Amino acid sequence: MVVARQDPAPPAASTSDNPTALSVRDLHAHYRVSHFGIRRDVRAVDGISFEVGRNEIYGLAGESSSGKSTLVKTIARAIRPPLFHVGGEVVFEFPDTGRFSLYELPEEDLARLRWRHLSYIMQASMSVLNPVRRVRHSFADFAFRHIGKRAPEFWALVAGHLERLHLSASVLDSYPHELSGGMRQRVTIALATVCRPDFVIADEPTTALDVVVQKGVLEMIREIQQQMGSSVLFVTHDMSVHAYLADRLGIMYAGRLVEEGPTREILLAPQHPYTRHLVASLPRIGDRSERHGLEGRPPSLAAPPPGCRFHPRCPLAMPICAQEVPPLEDAAPRHRVACHAVKRGSA
Amino acid sequence: MFAVLGDLLRVNREFALGVLLTGIVVVVALASLFSPYPPLDVYVVPPDVPPGEGFLLGTTSRGQDVFWQLAEATRNTLLFGIAVAAISRVIALTVGLLAGYLGGAVDRILMSINDTFIVVPLFPILVLFYFVMRDRMSWAMLALVMACLGWAYDARLIRSVAMSLKTREFTRQAVFSGMSTWQIVTQEHLPYVLPIVFSTTLNNLNWSIGLEVTLSVLGFTDVNTPTIGGMVFWANQHTALVAGIWWWIAAPVVLIATLFIGLFLIAASVSEYIDPRSRLARIGAAK
Repeated sequence: MVVARQDPAPPAASTSDNPTALSVRDLHAHYRVSHFGIRRDVRAVDGISFEVGRNEIYGLAGESSSGKSTLVKTIARAIRPPLFHVGGEVVFEFPDTGRFSLYELPEEDLARLRWRHLSYIMQASMSVLNPVRRVRHSFADFAFRHIGKRAPEFWALVAGHLERLHLSASVLDSYPHELSGGMRQRVTIALATVCRPDFVIADEPTTALDVVVQKGVLEMIREIQQQMGSSVLFVTHDMSVHAYLADRLGIMYAGRLVEEGPTREILLAPQHPYTRHLVASLPRIGDRSERHGLEGRPPSLAAPPPGCRFHPRCPLAMPICAQEVPPLEDAAPRHRVACHAVKRGSA
Repeated sequence: MFAVLGDLLRVNREFALGVLLTGIVVVVALASLFSPYPPLDVYVVPPDVPPGEGFLLGTTSRGQDVFWQLAEATRNTLLFGIAVAAISRVIALTVGLLAGYLGGAVDRILMSINDTFIVVPLFPILVLFYFVMRDRMSWAMLALVMACLGWAYDARLIRSVAMSLKTREFTRQAVFSGMSTWQIVTQEHLPYVLPIVFSTTLNNLNWSIGLEVTLSVLGFTDVNTPTIGGMVFWANQHTALVAGIWWWIAAPVVLIATLFIGLFLIAASVSEYIDPRSRLARIGAAK
């Protein structure tokens, strides 16, 4: 059982001495649509760089259509047209495999690495299980060949793993519709973690669940992560989930990372104006003051504003904001912010 | 599966009747294995004996026992239908699943072939085949030709399901886990479309048997192989109705009608079982 975490756990504090599991450098991914000869590029991921350490849970937050899911799809190389990887590197480094750059690998190597070392809990993961096949077949189809064991050992291992997720082995003989939402979610997570992958990408795995089940699933993800010592890249728009789970937090706005730092620091001392509004919008126990929404709407990613993409809505906007893209720079140790105003100290 | 069939038999009267009628036909077909006469021999029994007097369904003007002739004909006709259905199902599944899953150029090429087969008029083509091939038009050849003409509608149906399956999360998960196209199509998508295919198979069986009977009655097939249509063909050749040998025609007609009704009832009740909405409608109607 995991103790509810009150303070940032040691792994978060040790990013510098912790080996890197994933480093993303200047990643660009666009949705390319072409209608009647007119081509439009929707720049959903536009120059994102960050690193995730081994044994770390990295949370990605941001409102809908800020490019979170596109970013993780690109990182998993689970992209298909009209989404294209346009530029930048995704480099993984695991103890068993060494360093490899995801977009330079041939398909065969990729098929061996994925699931075994890099697994992906997809958004809407409730429908990841084939409705007409028993859960057992999903395990056999997805995981069996990656584990490389003979059938009896494999099923013993699966049963043991399900046990760890508080599921009985009898779920294997059920159809997905016979399981409750929470059980299905746990089966999905079991499926993604049964090979003990080094890196797990989780895209909104708890969004469809009520808070009680959600808490159970989150605890389970944390528990599994600690037992396996793997890294987790966790995406959700739910800040309370991030507060509960993430060691470090990255805030996305309109396809770019605007702020990144330890969860506690982001939530207690946000620096970027967007993050500040985001955090200020969260409810607090005992605080009865009215919450104010931010004026305006997120920009269209097909025609984003020049310079800082937040400047049309930013209360601190300066002339330079409309001209130059603010770089993501250290504002404090291990705390990066992309804002001209913060850099100048006027924030 | 068997529990479901048991429930259907108990609750659904149409299904039970369909199974009963089809069962009778199958029993008649199986009886051909115990036939005392070689099926192709003629004048082995006294001709034109009415039913009952020593011969269950009488005898033909060609000196054949109608019952044993019917048994042999039923077996051939059934096997013919099953062969056509099986071959055309394989084609329909392969084309439909691949076109739906792969999309793009593969889809366009396969579907333009598919649409060609849909608009082509079948009956004239089959007659044309007979006139071109004449003596080489054997039973197996006809089955193959009909199978090649009978897959197009179902391939379109299967393709539409596969297109929807392609966009579901479990397909993406399967791709991510490194399954090949073939594995995804056969292991993930095939089980999903099988119930639909099962119901269309029964319709296809009806269609192919009906067409075969039509061709045989008109003599556009290998009439030496005893089939239901072939029996009617020979009865017509001997002007059985004018001569008053009505049992020669009545027996195959009653049997083929029994088979059609049986298969139709099974197909109708099973597709009702497959489609949950019509099941709900039944519950509503029962109240």
